[in-house]
Amino acid sequence: MKKLEIDWTRCDGHGLCGTLLPDDVWLDEWGFPVLRGREITRGELASARRAVLACPALALRLAATVNRDSKGSERTVPTSHQ
Amino acid sequence: MTILQETPTPLRAIGEPRLLAGLQDGRADLQRHLQTHGPLPELTRESYSELATAVGLRGRGGAAFPVALKLADLPARGIEAVVVNGSESEPVSRKDRLLLTMAPHLVLDGATGLARALKAPLVIVAVHDAAAAASVRTALLERQDGVEVQVADTPGRFVAGEARAVLSVLEGGPSVPPGRKVLPTRKGYHRRPTFLSNVDTFAQLAVLARLGSHEFSSTGLISEPGTQLLTIDGSVERPGVVETPTGTPLEALLRFAGASQGPVLVGGYHGKWLPNDSSRPETSGGAGIILALGTDTCPLGEAHRVAQWLASQSAGQCGPCVFGLAALVDDFERLLAGDPAGWHDAQRHLGLVPGRGACAHPDGSARFLVSALEVFDDDVRQHLAGGCGRPVRGVLPVPGGKW
Repeated sequence: MKKLEIDWTRCDGHGLCGTLLPDDVWLDEWGFPVLRGREITRGELASARRAVLACPALALRLAATVNRDSKGSERTVPTSHQ
Repeated sequence: MTILQETPTPLRAIGEPRLLAGLQDGRADLQRHLQTHGPLPELTRESYSELATAVGLRGRGGAAFPVALKLADLPARGIEAVVVNGSESEPVSRKDRLLLTMAPHLVLDGATGLARALKAPLVIVAVHDAAAAASVRTALLERQDGVEVQVADTPGRFVAGEARAVLSVLEGGPSVPPGRKVLPTRKGYHRRPTFLSNVDTFAQLAVLARLGSHEFSSTGLISEPGTQLLTIDGSVERPGVVETPTGTPLEALLRFAGASQGPVLVGGYHGKWLPNDSSRPETSGGAGIILALGTDTCPLGEAHRVAQWLASQSAGQCGPCVFGLAALVDDFERLLAGDPAGWHDAQRHLGLVPGRGACAHPDGSARFLVSALEVFDDDVRQHLAGGCGRPVRGVLPVPGGKW
């Protein structure tokens, strides 16, 4: 299964994703995308891919929801200070 | 504000000190270090993993990630470097620079011992503080480690202390977290597997390697035994760094530091406020910072000052962090002036900030402000009714220009 993901360092709030995928992305008051966070179903995959390609900042991505490493265990990605 | 001036940090201990042992008379050179702690036993990677698992050792930089998991995630060979993150960008925290300044050999023991066990050829100590860097460089002249040790200066901005931002700056890049969430254990220094942790964690490893898991667990919580370093500041008679067994009740610690009554901030400026009542928990985890506010300052005004600083510390990469934190500063300003719309806007903006950035700065900042609005509920009401009548004294230190 796939999920939308945003590289926030790239996103400049062009807002195309909000127009192309109104069910999955809405725009906040500054024009930046808010993801609904649900999984993209097989039927929606084509339009999601189109939105990813349309992003002028290359900030929108489709990522696999469960990242499995070689041992098959689920991986969590810590993002804060270590 | 003068709290952040570079005076020597007082150090004390509740119970038997481990990391701070032998430092009563000042910095421990190699001779005094060996007198206090004895030589570091040469352990294998497996022994380090077993020890870290047995005592449930967690990273002491704030994220509290289990060290054993970090070790397990490293590949069997080809580990590029062991990185000691000493950037200590939480403005109130002093524990890491205290360790580097006063007990550099303990930190270097932990880092080089682990590097040899992991067969990593390089140890990098990333420091922001000049005195700490000088202390480490002096200590290195006394030692023979069998691995290369480099000391690197990093910028002091809050977000620059984030693990991946440190790795970026070590490679000559900008001191900002990258957009892709990659683990240093997979792609760290030079995009190669790297063990990175906080200064305090390496000192704990050096103590753990000597004591073994049994003796290490003779104090503190069963779930996470040992001692912890806490920085205590704010409205207290005796500020400074304290070593305590894990799980020491917060009330005991506040009494020990001579804190005045009033709310307490735990975990620094990405942390949470605790109300002034008896249901407060034990102290553990987080970035090891305890700030007592006292009762004669306006809590919301203090939170507003910190919010301004947090907004100024955004790396400027991610829209929701840049615009969201700026909007929250404005919301708090209007709330302080008694405008109910400020409160409503703050609630909305606090929902729009977390989880929407390359690092945890927006999340942590929102956590701080959310808990301020919760805990200072009564003050919010007073401000909406015309003000709380207390001045903003600046009890919470906010760094000035050089950060």
